[in-house]
Amino acid sequence: VSDRKPPGKHSTEERPPLGSWARLYALEFVNLAALVILFYLLTKSFE
Amino acid sequence: MSSLDWVVLAGSLVFIVVYGVWRGRGSKDLDGYLLAGRRMRWYTIALSIMATQASAITFLSAPGLGYADGVRFVQFYLGLPIAMVVLCATAVPIYHRLKVYTAYEYLENRFDLKTRSIAAVLFLIQRGLAAGLTIYAPSLILSVLLGWNIYWTNLVIGVLVIIYTTSGGTKAVGYTHFLQMLIIMSGMGLAFALILRALPAELGFGDAVFVAGEMGRLNAIDFSFDPNNRYTFWSGIIGGFFLQLSYFGTDQSQVGRYLTGRSVTQSRLGLLFNGFIKVPMQFAILFLGAMVFVFYQFVAPPVFFNPVEEQKLREGVHAEEFAGLEERHQEVFEVKQQRIRNLLSARRAGDPGAIVAAGAELKQTVREAEEIRTRTAELIRANDPQANASDTNYIFLNFVIHFLPIGVVGLVLAAIFAASMSSTAAELNALASTSFVDVQKRIFGRGGGGEVRASRFLTVLWGAFAIAFAEYASRLGSLIEAVNILGSLVYGTILGIFMVAFLFRRVGGNAVFTAAVLAEIAVVCCFLFTGISFLWYNVIGCVLVAVLSLLLQPVLPGSQKEIAGAA
Repeated sequence: VSDRKPPGKHSTEERPPLGSWARLYALEFVNLAALVILFYLLTKSFE
Repeated sequence: MSSLDWVVLAGSLVFIVVYGVWRGRGSKDLDGYLLAGRRMRWYTIALSIMATQASAITFLSAPGLGYADGVRFVQFYLGLPIAMVVLCATAVPIYHRLKVYTAYEYLENRFDLKTRSIAAVLFLIQRGLAAGLTIYAPSLILSVLLGWNIYWTNLVIGVLVIIYTTSGGTKAVGYTHFLQMLIIMSGMGLAFALILRALPAELGFGDAVFVAGEMGRLNAIDFSFDPNNRYTFWSGIIGGFFLQLSYFGTDQSQVGRYLTGRSVTQSRLGLLFNGFIKVPMQFAILFLGAMVFVFYQFVAPPVFFNPVEEQKLREGVHAEEFAGLEERHQEVFEVKQQRIRNLLSARRAGDPGAIVAAGAELKQTVREAEEIRTRTAELIRANDPQANASDTNYIFLNFVIHFLPIGVVGLVLAAIFAASMSSTAAELNALASTSFVDVQKRIFGRGGGGEVRASRFLTVLWGAFAIAFAEYASRLGSLIEAVNILGSLVYGTILGIFMVAFLFRRVGGNAVFTAAVLAEIAVVCCFLFTGISFLWYNVIGCVLVAVLSLLLQPVLPGSQKEIAGAA
């Protein structure tokens, strides 16, 4: 494609918090699981 | 509205525009104008992503849903954090490496021009119409509740957005999003605190939560598997995942936000932060609606929150039956209030048997109150088949106008305007980017000098189209719903194209293009001939594109370009 700039290595990347992306992704899933459990407990407590 | 409210509202709007023009200055080339020079940090990207997704209707409708239906709508967002992780691991590094301006550019790199074009055109049609509705929907509610002229309200929102979006491009959009989110959070936070203060003095926060729960407003999770039930854990985690994946991964109004990141890390952090915050934020807005519901257990609410439809009913052929319903509504309100007090006394006495008995009595009254609201909606529809028989969008603003103090009303209205402007700005910016990069420059070959000027012109053009569509929307009647659902009709197909691009390296352009056309026809048939909930259209469209592409590849080879590391 004529208008595209040539692909290249992306600029210098900073280290992610917690040291790796896998850990950060795991934290995202843990956060979601904790929210689902909280919502479940909230719902159950009024059933 | 008081003078102080007008000052707060007008001051906020002028400040947003001036701030946007000031922060957006100095964009001299296409990179600067369409991608903010790729210099944004993660927190600006995160707030920009959130401001783009949260339109005015989010802040008007969600508390209304919390009031009328409880907090179960939060399940709609459960797939969002998973989608953020998938995008960070797949799309973000590829978009950054290829230095694309739009998501659709990648499709030509991977497949061919026709696949890029079909995705870009589907986006332009869907988003072009949606931009008009983003302006129209809050204008309609403001005009009904405050008596404002809807045409002028549309025009003011649209013109203010055009000024700073055209002037500063993506940089102005990103920085104003930051400011707009601050205004929105302040307005909603203050409203929440004041709702709790407005509750009866003897009712503590724990009591309010208990009442909301006993009256069925804290129904956050439903694990039943029913495809016709719109909001369950499964529709949220599976259907919502596909919807959010297509919205954040393939809709240029969102892709354009994280393409502005100064690195892959900054873009990823912006998306992940959104994944952390979005679900609790949405729950807080719905919970606010549940607290408005508790408030209206102690102050008599109107039978129907849309005063225009209520008035039409009073003057129509069903006036007598409606008067009877209003009378019964008042009786039920008084009985309900007494039963809530009985329930709270039983709770304070710590008597489980009395709590169960009082709860059962209260639930019976709640059912009666809901029957009255349902019958009123039926009468409104019988009185005028074109009337909107849902008053969900009017509940929160009705409360704000009548029960919040002077000044705060102006701040909440400023938050609603800010939300409308933030979504519209991102949409106009994305429409201009796509129509310039993917259509004008690529298909018609009209790039060269004056790229920023051409992009500015397209921003104004799309802005004018959005305003014109908003002005015309009130005459569309039930077509509005069809336009609203258009996103779900095309998102699955677009996501399917991108998923094949990322996951199936041996599939080429001819197969994926044909599969996309067939999948789109199938999704439209689902909409026209089945009762399947719209969240599932994204799954159906996406899976069909993937499966058909794999089946068609052996008979339709060609147009295949492999990108190293795309899988």
